[in-house]
Amino acid sequence: MEDSRQSAARAWPDGGCSRVPNWVYTDSDIFTHELQRIFGASDWLYVCLEGEIPNPGDFKRSQLGNREVIAVRGTDRAINVLVNRCAHRSMQVCTASRGTAKEFVCPYHQWTYDLAGNLLGVPFRRGYRGQGGMPADFRTEEHGLKRLAVTARRGVVFASFGAPNESLETYLGDRMLGYFDRVFDGRDLAVLGYMRQRIPANWKLMFENIKDPYHASLLHVFLVTFGLFRLDQQSAVEMDDTGRHAVLVSRRGAQEANDATSQMRAFRSDFALRDKRLLDPVREFPGDATVVLQTLWPNLIVQQQSNTLAMRQIVPLGPHSFDLAWTFFGYADDTPEMHQRRLRQANLMGPAGLVSLDDSEAMLLSQAGIDTNDDEACLVEMGGRAVVNEPHMVTETAIRGFYQHYRSVMEL
Amino acid sequence: MIAAAFGLEVGLELRARLADLYCAYDNALNDGALERWPELFVETCIYKVIPRENVEQGFPVALIYCESRDMLVDRVVALRETALYAPRIARRITSGVTLRSIEGDGLHLTANFTVLQTMPDQPSELFLCGCCQDRVVEDGDALRFAERLCIYDSTIVPTSLVYPI
Repeated sequence: MEDSRQSAARAWPDGGCSRVPNWVYTDSDIFTHELQRIFGASDWLYVCLEGEIPNPGDFKRSQLGNREVIAVRGTDRAINVLVNRCAHRSMQVCTASRGTAKEFVCPYHQWTYDLAGNLLGVPFRRGYRGQGGMPADFRTEEHGLKRLAVTARRGVVFASFGAPNESLETYLGDRMLGYFDRVFDGRDLAVLGYMRQRIPANWKLMFENIKDPYHASLLHVFLVTFGLFRLDQQSAVEMDDTGRHAVLVSRRGAQEANDATSQMRAFRSDFALRDKRLLDPVREFPGDATVVLQTLWPNLIVQQQSNTLAMRQIVPLGPHSFDLAWTFFGYADDTPEMHQRRLRQANLMGPAGLVSLDDSEAMLLSQAGIDTNDDEACLVEMGGRAVVNEPHMVTETAIRGFYQHYRSVMEL
Repeated sequence: MIAAAFGLEVGLELRARLADLYCAYDNALNDGALERWPELFVETCIYKVIPRENVEQGFPVALIYCESRDMLVDRVVALRETALYAPRIARRITSGVTLRSIEGDGLHLTANFTVLQTMPDQPSELFLCGCCQDRVVEDGDALRFAERLCIYDSTIVPTSLVYPI
């Protein structure tokens, strides 16, 4: 009886990926499966920027799914990504969030690991005066820190818990790789700082938000009024072949009323900034696009909105909560003016962002509506019911693409 | 009550004027009178809300980064007229205001802040706490902030920072 009710409740509603049942945002069993199949399998997860750990011994902790890892540059300069868990009693061996280390020593019993995660030594391994100690067949090489597969491209580090059968380049696909390389063009990156917020909503809502250009023209007065992102501008929504990765591309327009802005309550022809330096974007990438927001399965958003660049890492905490960790960056060869411009434009982003504030609050309100109606489903029909690339932004096609891939991975 | 660093001679009148400024600041935010908030800064002020980890590592990015009183006004107008956010009450409590030094560019002070947040139908919670590093100057006949850095201790902001700190 319990089983049949469960399976009936878990049946994906009719309408394919144009419907998303609310239980995918609330069910703790679904969340557990997501950790295993999405965050703990063979996908490439974003870890950090190489420039955050430039020298041998430099390390930074990061969260991949629900697991905590240490990204550390080894003595051979290669980056290792190690699970932060002692092989002995599962204690976290690294408690600092970043720093420089010669080795990792578990504080509990001082088991010691090198920067590649190899177990170097165990105190009293041979006992004391012939008594105690580890069994004779104990082998240190079998008890290192768990080490992930690691790859990097143009200064961005990814890792995988499984044994990925495709390179990062194949995983992203040619189209997504082109957009990735647009921002990561080979120049050295300069980290500008961090922001982090804990949002009481399901992690998938964050992806959906950045895969949904339709809302941006209606919700975000700042974007709409100043023409930073508006649906009457030439735009595109594109995906890789699986639908798991997507990109929203648009170009800046003017603050002038037309037949599209008349449908946007958010458009304010009278709204003007007193200090115009807040929005003083300059073109810095080849091509016409002024906004490229890339959502890379399963934990990364690459943000290029005007001159503000950031990695937004998604850390799922439970069905009802995730952390959004922002790493703002520029390029090592930025002029002082461009550096200052990036800091000013950061006012639009992050937990207090004049644009992204709307999104974190919208997700809070979405989850509240979902939690109290988890037998309902969300409607994702803008732009039709298919999963196709579109040369405009009046569409939710990339959300459908996400769920097409999600359903296949989750077998739902 | 405004304390002075050990050995620094500070008259009662200056202490009283500083106390008025610090109370006016908390009251503007706690009264929901956001329009009064920019008036407590000089025209070419610096105001930032920044996580402690960025300060410690020398990273400049801040959640709020204003370089003029006009930018503060722009933020108030944006909050009043353009931003979407769930209703909430934020209560700012200042403690330990200390005049650290008197320099040619003004009075240098530090103060602790605690911001409590109350969301509808929820118990009140600690939202952020940290330290302000301030520079206060004579501006006409009043003391105003020339620089206010709000450095919060945690790395994580609960959901969103709507109102300034």
